[in-house]
Amino acid sequence: MKKLEAPKELMKLQHNLGGLEGLGPVDFEKRVFVEPWETRIFGIHVAMMGLSQHLKEAIPKYPIDQVPTKFRSTWTWADLRKGAEAMNPFDYFKYRYYEKWLGGISGFFVSQGYISQEELDERTSAFLKGQGSTPESRNELIDNQIVEYLRVGDPGGREVAGRPKFSQDDCVKVKNVHPVDHTRLPGHLRGKTGVIDKVYSGFYVYFCSTGPDGLGEPMPVYLVRFDPKDIWGELAEDKSVVYADLYETYLES
Amino acid sequence: MSERFLYPKDREIYSAAKVKALESLLVEKGIITSETVDKVINYFEKEMGPFNGAKLVAKAWVDPEFKARLLEDTPAAIADMNFPRGMGGAEGENMEAVENSAIIHNLIVCTLCSCYPWPILGLPPYWYKDPTFRGRAIREPRKVLQEFGLTFADNVEIRVWDSSAQIRWFVIPERPPGTEGLSEAQLATLVTPESMMGSARAKSPSSP
Repeated sequence: MKKLEAPKELMKLQHNLGGLEGLGPVDFEKRVFVEPWETRIFGIHVAMMGLSQHLKEAIPKYPIDQVPTKFRSTWTWADLRKGAEAMNPFDYFKYRYYEKWLGGISGFFVSQGYISQEELDERTSAFLKGQGSTPESRNELIDNQIVEYLRVGDPGGREVAGRPKFSQDDCVKVKNVHPVDHTRLPGHLRGKTGVIDKVYSGFYVYFCSTGPDGLGEPMPVYLVRFDPKDIWGELAEDKSVVYADLYETYLES
Repeated sequence: MSERFLYPKDREIYSAAKVKALESLLVEKGIITSETVDKVINYFEKEMGPFNGAKLVAKAWVDPEFKARLLEDTPAAIADMNFPRGMGGAEGENMEAVENSAIIHNLIVCTLCSCYPWPILGLPPYWYKDPTFRGRAIREPRKVLQEFGLTFADNVEIRVWDSSAQIRWFVIPERPPGTEGLSEAQLATLVTPESMMGSARAKSPSSP
């Protein structure tokens, strides 16, 4: 029986930004935050990553169980990205970067039962009326863990027995993996041919399994070089090269 | 359906109140402390920011052996410098440098999100996070760079690096002409975060 290919017609805009036409000029805004409130959601996201349950299995083996926080969830870049990639594509363009974070993160705390939507709405109204306040509450053990996470990080490299499938200078084709809710495969590379420029040493995990898309377990990662003409055809600019870091699951010979 | 493209009336005021509400609830419920967010922000204002990257580039400009090492083994070269602890930390676990020259110009993009080398450049600016930049730079880098004020001769190769896995790419910009005799500290003032992502050249000493 003929193996069915993943339907190319199913796509998320967020996975396929490369090559979108008609977008107009880039706003060369150099600020990191364009509104003061954005710094707060940034800090909250970092805190969640620094207190995440998955850090128990991270290379530095953070002593998360000894941190006196009521946060008992896993929260990684994958969770933040999934939230953004789950948005209506028009909203993805409509709302600014940190507006998306605020929506995704507040939704997470509600869906995981840490706060209720009613509580959040009531408190928001209070602050809108200038009647809201935040209690003073200190705990160095919580804050030290978060700052330690910032200093030491969460490296994806893992010591795993095994050999990379591909070698430097191999010609490879990017697989048309099944479209799912979250991926690390830039959509414009699907089905394109490139050359292995570098085999990164070691195996690398991803924060979560992406199901049929293939990520999760430790695997080699490659720097793959593409001739833009092999991606965009006639519309490619001359004298240009595209490089992408691709997990092994996305490549075939 | 007509509301799809309308913004809420008090868009920023509402977001500001909502994030205050969220933070106050998280503090009350013992998830974070009332100092947590300020400590995180302070970390990126004082310890991990573009000032680190500028020092790195200035040293690379004056010390060819260091530059070679920075290109060959980026984390090791960075570790040799007297930075605060944390250069291999969050979003710095796998940083890699590429070098601009008279015939090669490098541009970094993250088409999928906004991956950025935090320890040496701090947090990404809005242009880098913009879906318009992310979608266009990968296909028409020369055109996008021209809109940013950069033009290149026909013989210059533009290399676009998509940070789609664990690597956090950054650029060593070319040393501007007329900077002979400047100290490392003076050279560092010419290095902008844009120049270290490939969307600008380093400043020249005569420009404001």
